Amino acid sequence: MRALSARLGVAGAVLVLAVIISFIVMASVRDAVAMSLAILVVAAGVATITTPGLRATHPVIARAAMSTTAVVVALVATFYFSATTDYNLATGAAMSIVLVGLSFLTGASGQISLGNGAFMGVGAFIMAIWANHHATTPIVVTLGISVAAGALVGFLLGLPATRLRGPYLAGMTLAFAVAFGAILNSFNSWTGGDGGLQLPNVAAPPHWLISLFGRSTPLLTTNTAWLTDITLVVTGVAFFFMANLFASRTGRGMRLIRDNDVAAELVGISLPRARVTAFVVASAYASLGGALWTLINNSVSPSTYTFALSITILSVIVIGGIGTITGALIGGLIYAYSTNLISWITSQTGLNPQGNLASQLNGIIFGGLLILTMLFAPLGIAGLVRHVWRTRARRSVP
Amino acid sequence: MDPFLTSRIVSDLLGGVTQGVIYGLVALSLVLVWRSTGILNFAQGAMPMFATYVGMVFFAKFFGYWPCVALSILTGFVLGATTERVLVRPLYGKPEINPIVVMVGFLIVLESVAAAIWSSGPHSLLSPFSQVDFQLGGKPIALSDFTLYEIGTALLVMTLVAALFRFTNLGLQLRASALAPEVSRLLGVRVGRMLTIGWILSTGVGTVTTILVASKSFFQGLTPQVMDGVFVFGFIAAAVGGLESPVGAIVAGVGMGIILQFVTDYVNSNAILLVALVILVVSLMLRPNGIFSPSTARRV
Repeated sequence: MRALSARLGVAGAVLVLAVIISFIVMASVRDAVAMSLAILVVAAGVATITTPGLRATHPVIARAAMSTTAVVVALVATFYFSATTDYNLATGAAMSIVLVGLSFLTGASGQISLGNGAFMGVGAFIMAIWANHHATTPIVVTLGISVAAGALVGFLLGLPATRLRGPYLAGMTLAFAVAFGAILNSFNSWTGGDGGLQLPNVAAPPHWLISLFGRSTPLLTTNTAWLTDITLVVTGVAFFFMANLFASRTGRGMRLIRDNDVAAELVGISLPRARVTAFVVASAYASLGGALWTLINNSVSPSTYTFALSITILSVIVIGGIGTITGALIGGLIYAYSTNLISWITSQTGLNPQGNLASQLNGIIFGGLLILTMLFAPLGIAGLVRHVWRTRARRSVP
Repeated sequence: MDPFLTSRIVSDLLGGVTQGVIYGLVALSLVLVWRSTGILNFAQGAMPMFATYVGMVFFAKFFGYWPCVALSILTGFVLGATTERVLVRPLYGKPEINPIVVMVGFLIVLESVAAAIWSSGPHSLLSPFSQVDFQLGGKPIALSDFTLYEIGTALLVMTLVAALFRFTNLGLQLRASALAPEVSRLLGVRVGRMLTIGWILSTGVGTVTTILVASKSFFQGLTPQVMDGVFVFGFIAAAVGGLESPVGAIVAGVGMGIILQFVTDYVNSNAILLVALVILVVSLMLRPNGIFSPSTARRV
């Protein structure tokens, strides 16, 4: 029983930390209270649902329950949040989809992509282009088309990966990320050139949903809340699939490839197929995230999907914990509130906000954290928490 | 009047070679690090960029052009050695993504710190040579004092590196420790020191390249991101030529410079990155180890 109390102690400490951080970065006290309550309820729900017994016998049900709890609580919470927090939350949730794809690519197959910003861009632009040419297509279908396009691009770029070892894939994705702007520009009659594209109409809740719940249902009243809710639901589904994929035969095969590719080949896993699959999954997830960004912002601009975005994506997933699912969630939250956090640091340290140092603080802090994380805690925050958790639990057993 | 020298094709060829030696030098610096430590250094553009800022912007207040060049290269040497000792050494034997991520982090830090100290706007460098093209019968040839200086410097650097590897005792030790570290260690080669020297050489080559790149009127001076695009072309050249092969890297670099110059002239300048990417994908599909590397069997 002491093991349990030790676990609860760690969990409590993490929760308190999360609450403190949410008070620092949130726009208002009301948001912070709501966010803290949401975190508490999710934690409690997840803890009760995932009793070891259920997790061992019916893992898929446990995962579905976990995703559903998280999504439902988050949906309810969006009602209490201000529009700013809703927007940040949606941005972070879409980003966490991208991150979990990258996390899978690295954690499962040991490859890395430095071009995820560009893959997001593929999804984002396909979404906008399709919506401009076929305004009546339902959102879900458009999202599906964007994902398919991202998967196709990932497949084409991933083909050489079947024959490559080492860092070539990373270099190639980097080249893609740097080239992406020029590629967009080459097709500027489709992509709208430097100005980007606007969606033809703001995504509003469909009529059948309104007639089902009534017009005054809180979640359906404003478009921001509605878009946030779509994003959250999609995120929940994406994470549910990813959790299953991690644990599936394919996922386990890929982890074997990461640890020892010769052994993997000897037990009959096809290396080329597994490598390309991992890469296609990662790029499809990235373009889903990008498509959601287009939906949230109601527009898309080429200046968003630069090489800097790809590097930021890599930073937040590494800091959150690359190769883990929790790490992707942490990374998404870090991304959503990084701007607030940096400006808080700027104001606390009394730097001139227009100065050179303040404008570069983002890069210095994220780059530095990236190096420190890789050198001292390669699994990031998620890995650290897990490590502390396990050593505490082990120590308390007599 | 010699219309041949001023014709479009010859202009493109000369311009391509001028650009290509730069890609070749970047590729060479990547190959030097790859051969000594098996790491693809994603900060290979940023480290020399920083050294160039120190040498050509900070020291330019006190000295003339040539002392500043020497100081830049010296800073590059120090930066390369420090990076290898502090950031890279703990990563040997770790999964191969760890050094990639660390060097990407280092790239971000260096670019941000450089922008924080010297601002993100361009600094024009002193240039001892004119960049105005020679004239022949009223038409420009795609050559100037500066491009001759550029090509000459590139050739000099390549010759020096080749001579170092081929004719000196140090070069022999470098090759030995890259080929068979354990045997070399038993024979008394200080392998750790050789790895550091590999990084020093690579950053030195990179710094010379960066000074040339930042002096070109095309880039309008030194910025923290000046090497990003050049790095990508250099990487593609190194990958096409084979990361194991210095000669392959240089040949691929020059070849790519020429091809891309023709693409710029006959298609448009937006297409060059796309074409470079296609070259990379196709060549990796056909020859995964690069055109100039022998195919190797992997030991199990």
